[in-house]
Parts: sequence; structure tokens; C-alpha cells
Amino acid sequence: MYWVSIVTEAGIFAILALGLDVIWGWAGDFDLMFYGYLALGSYMTFVLTIGKPTPPVEYIIGGHLPVLVSMVVAIAVVVAFAAIIGAIALRNLREIYFAVTTLGAVSALYLIVENYTPLFDGYNGVYGLINPGQTALNLTYNGYRILLLVVVLLLLALAYLLVQRLSRSPFGRMLRSVREDERAAAAYGRNVFFSKYRAYLFGAAFAGLAGGLFAIFVSAFNPSAWTPQELLVIYAAILVGGRGNPRGVILGVFVIYIGLIELTRFLPSPASRPDFGPALRQVLIGLMIILMLRFRPQGFFPERPGVDPGPRPAGRRPWRLRVPAMAASSDTAAASPATTPASPEAASARQAADEGGAG
Amino acid sequence: MSTFLISVGVGLSTAAILALSAVAFTLEYAVSRIANFAHGEFLTIGAYAAYSGQAIFHQNVAAAALTAAVAGMLAGLALNAGVIEQFRGRSAITVLIATLGVALIVQNVLIMVYGAANVSYSFAQGGLHHIGPFLLTTSGIEVIFSALAVAGLIYVLLQYTRFGKAVRAVSQDRALAQVSGIPAQRVVMGTWALAGAISGFAGFVLADTIGTFGPQLGFSFLLLTITAAVAGGIGRPYATLGGALIVGLVIQIAGTYTSSAYQLVYAFLLLVVLMLFRPNGVFVRRSSTAVRV
Repeated sequence: MYWVSIVTEAGIFAILALGLDVIWGWAGDFDLMFYGYLALGSYMTFVLTIGKPTPPVEYIIGGHLPVLVSMVVAIAVVVAFAAIIGAIALRNLREIYFAVTTLGAVSALYLIVENYTPLFDGYNGVYGLINPGQTALNLTYNGYRILLLVVVLLLLALAYLLVQRLSRSPFGRMLRSVREDERAAAAYGRNVFFSKYRAYLFGAAFAGLAGGLFAIFVSAFNPSAWTPQELLVIYAAILVGGRGNPRGVILGVFVIYIGLIELTRFLPSPASRPDFGPALRQVLIGLMIILMLRFRPQGFFPERPGVDPGPRPAGRRPWRLRVPAMAASSDTAAASPATTPASPEAASARQAADEGGAG
Repeated sequence: MSTFLISVGVGLSTAAILALSAVAFTLEYAVSRIANFAHGEFLTIGAYAAYSGQAIFHQNVAAAALTAAVAGMLAGLALNAGVIEQFRGRSAITVLIATLGVALIVQNVLIMVYGAANVSYSFAQGGLHHIGPFLLTTSGIEVIFSALAVAGLIYVLLQYTRFGKAVRAVSQDRALAQVSGIPAQRVVMGTWALAGAISGFAGFVLADTIGTFGPQLGFSFLLLTITAAVAGGIGRPYATLGGALIVGLVIQIAGTYTSSAYQLVYAFLLLVVLMLFRPNGVFVRRSSTAVRV
């Protein structure tokens, strides 16, 4: 059961990381608000599902909807919220200004949720068991946990297929071209703001979904569950796996979550210092972020150049460029077929992982 | 009216601490062209250094302040040598993420050493004084005057010394300063030491003003610091002082009339308004809205 829990949690965070990777990996926007969307999705799923609050507990709505409906509504709320933040932060602000604005947004949201109790019961948070269909299926608690794991993994697979498809679509390439050079992309007629905006909303929807799953998984949610530190773990996982490469991102999350938890589980934690173990884990994550950025910013599974080979010449084996992005900076220009003339996406996606897209 | 004036008085001491922190932040930006998200940790380190030192110094506030400044200075030097210089030539956002990693490390090392629970100093706050229309504690007055003194010191240092001239040159163009015979690396180092010392001192003052503090002290002050720096115009030390005054007064006055818990919310709203309409600071006559660093 222990492993079922860990893998379920890692699966939920993998869905979250896939969404964040669209915003950061493809569109290149370092978003500090992102974990707030998971929190919002989680809170909304709770208040729509668990019914009216009993005093002194208080929160908004208190609906009694089926959990699937609540999750869809929660995702819609998250996307609507992201639409406001994105409209402010993405229009003219880039790089550090964008990061600062999203940091401000998440701090403000955090403070409001924590201090304004009528919203989500402030610091205590909301809780309630959400187990749709457990009685109908006549499952034990453990059986239900396994079912949840299967559902999470299925959703993760679906999310992966969607992201993978999107990654090679014109939309994915447009985002990368905008990330690499906004002016060039704009000169080719791409709407820079709108493409980034769509990526932002798309990523936020993933966070909303992960939030809903998280609500079912932990059956309680309060502000201490979404401190800014949690988001850095996701960024570390994406950095390790490979920014912009969905497969790498999923692998990164599983390695970081399971690896770190397993590694630090057996560390001695003095009874007088219960915080020692978790703190050490955070230190390791911080170190990992710095070392990855310094020595291998493209991650261990770098983003592959998403060059569309165009219509295949008849009779030849279909081929894909499998050149590692690092080595691909100049020689793929010659190798890439000229069937996609003057495509800025193709031209710039090549440099994708040179600096991890950061430079 | 008297509530308003009292909050202005408290706002002044908030603004004074903010000014110190924001000037340091902006100096770091000026020479290295990066936003240091581990800046708050300089304050935290200063505060904890003074906390460790107070067992030795007892009630000697000046010695505690000096300890905080020295600790902050060492932290500044270490961060610049260990991280910032290692990332030279990388994009500002890459360095930002790295400093965020540093912030995570420092906070959690402090938890490992001091525990996650809040700690507090035992320095006397002094009595209340009516000064003109304001109501301030003795330490509040000391905060305001020490901030003014440090600000004056920075002004003299930047404006009238060879080091200050070199700092201004490096902040204009590091490569050009280098070929003109200015030891750019040493100047950048010196600036980080200075910024660290100012922040460490600010951290001590902040912790003493708040009363109790934990490892999150500096990080939760980071947003205010950045807002103040943006209000003045990032990278412009003198304008930042004015920015800090605006931010300190706005959040204190707005907080007094609603709830002090929401101060950061007002800071964020102010930040958004500034970002949208005056991203280069309120003291620039016309600022382009398109910010692309």
C-alpha cells in the first residue's frame, strides 16, 4: 500500500509537471503562480463535492455535486483565474518581470486564502472523504486506493498522449519559436501574446485536474500544503528530466519523487528536530536545481528538435530527426529537408535545448 | 486623522527598512544584471546571526547589528562567488531560478540548525514618543535614523569615492569598464559585499521590529523589496529610496484601515499597477510599457 500511495502521488505530480512544462518548457515563461492553480483546483473540488460546512468550519458554496462534475467545474474556475493572471502578466512582462508578477500573485492568493476564513476556512483548510463509487463497486479501502492509482495512471497516459501530439503540432512549434525569438516570430505573423496566453491556460487546466485528483488522494487541503517550496520540486523534476520533452518530464517526476523520498526516508531524524529530514530533502532539491542549471540545463532527456520532415518522398523509409539537441545547432540546418521553407518554428526549435531554452 | 498619522509614522519605519533592503537589491541588479531571489535570505542570515550573537553581547544592540551586517556581507560574497559569477553570460531568468534554489537551501539549512519554530530577540523596544504628529517607539526612531544614515553613507560612497565611480561604471557596461582598466570582478565582489552588509543589517532591524521571526523572514519580505525596487526603477539606487517610501506608506496605511495581514496583497496590487503602467519606475518621465530584459 505504501508503494501504491507513492506512485499515485508521483502520477498526480507528473500530470502537474506536464502542464507546467507547456508554460515553462515550450513557451518559456517561468511561472511561480503555478502551484496556486493546483491549490485552487483542489479547494474547488472539495467545496463543490463535500456538502455544506458545519460550523465553526466555513467555506464557500458547499455543493453536493458528483465528483466528476466538480472536477470539471474546478478546472473551469482555475482556467478562468489563470485567464485573469495571464492577461496581466503575459501581455508585456517577460522573464524576471513575469516571474516577479506571478510570485506576487501567488503570495496574494496565499495570504487571502489563509486569512479570509469564509473562503476556504483559512489556515485549517477543507477536508472530506471523496470516494465516488467505492460502495457501488463494493471495494475495500485498499482496493479503492489501487483503483485510484489506475485512474491516475490512465489520466497521466492520456495527458501524455495529448501533450505529445500537441508538442509536434504547429501550435507546439509556434510556442517554441516565440520562446526563442519573439520578434522573429512576430515578424512571421505569429501573435506572441495570444500564443503564450493559450499555452498558459492549457497548462493551468492541467494544474486544475491535478488539484482535483490531489483532493481525492489526500482528502484534506490547507495552506501548508502549497507553500512555494512545493513548486520548486516540480521545477527540479522538469530540469532533471529535460525541459520541453514530455517523456523526460514524466521520468524526472518519478525519479525525483520516488528517489528522494526513498533516499531520505531512512535518514536519522533526531526526535528533537522533526523538521530535519524534510528540510534536508529541500536542501537536496535546491542543490539539484543549481547544479542542473549550471552543468546540464537541457536535462538528461533533452527536448528533441520538433522539425516536421514534411511530406515524405514516396518509397523512402519514414524518418525522424533523432539528433540530440545539443549537437543539432548547426548541422541539422543542412540536414532538415527544405519542404518547410522559411518556417521560423523549424529554424528556432533547433536551438531549443542549447541553453535549456533559457538563454 | 490621528489613526492616519500613526500609520504614517509606522509606515515611515517600514519604509526605512524597506529602503535598506531595496537599495541592496537594486545594487545587486545594477552590477550583475540579475534579480536575486535569494536576497531575502541575506536578511534572514543577518537576523539569525544577531540572534546567535545576542547570547554573547547581551543588550548591546550595536554589536548585534554589526554581527548581522558582517554575516550578511559574507553571505553576499559567497553568493556572488559561488553562484552568480558561475552563471555569467547566462540569461537573467536562469540566474533567477538558481538564486531561488539558493533561497530554498538557506531556508532549510536554517531550519536544520535553528528549527522551524520562530525565535525572538530580547532587546528593549523603549517607550513611546510623540514626535510632531507621529507616535513612535524608541527603536522605531532608531530604525528611521539608522536607515537615513546608511542611505547617506551609500550616497557618499557611490558619488564621491573611487569605488563608487567604479561601481557606476560597471553598472553601465561591465565589459567597457573592464577594458578601461577597472578591475570589474573586484568591483562586483565589493558591491555584493556592500549589498550583503546592508541587507544583513536590514534583516536585524526587521526582525527586531517584528518581534518574532523564522527562517521565512526574508523570503516573505522579498516581494515588498522587489515592489519598492520596481517603484523606484530597478538598478537606480537613489530612486529606489523614494520607491521604498511610497511602498512602505501605501501598504501601512492600507493595512491600517483593513487588516495588516493583507499588506502583501496591497503590495502585489501596487506591483501590478506599476508593472502595467510604469515598469521603469515612477520617477522616469516616460517609460516604455514593453519590458524585455
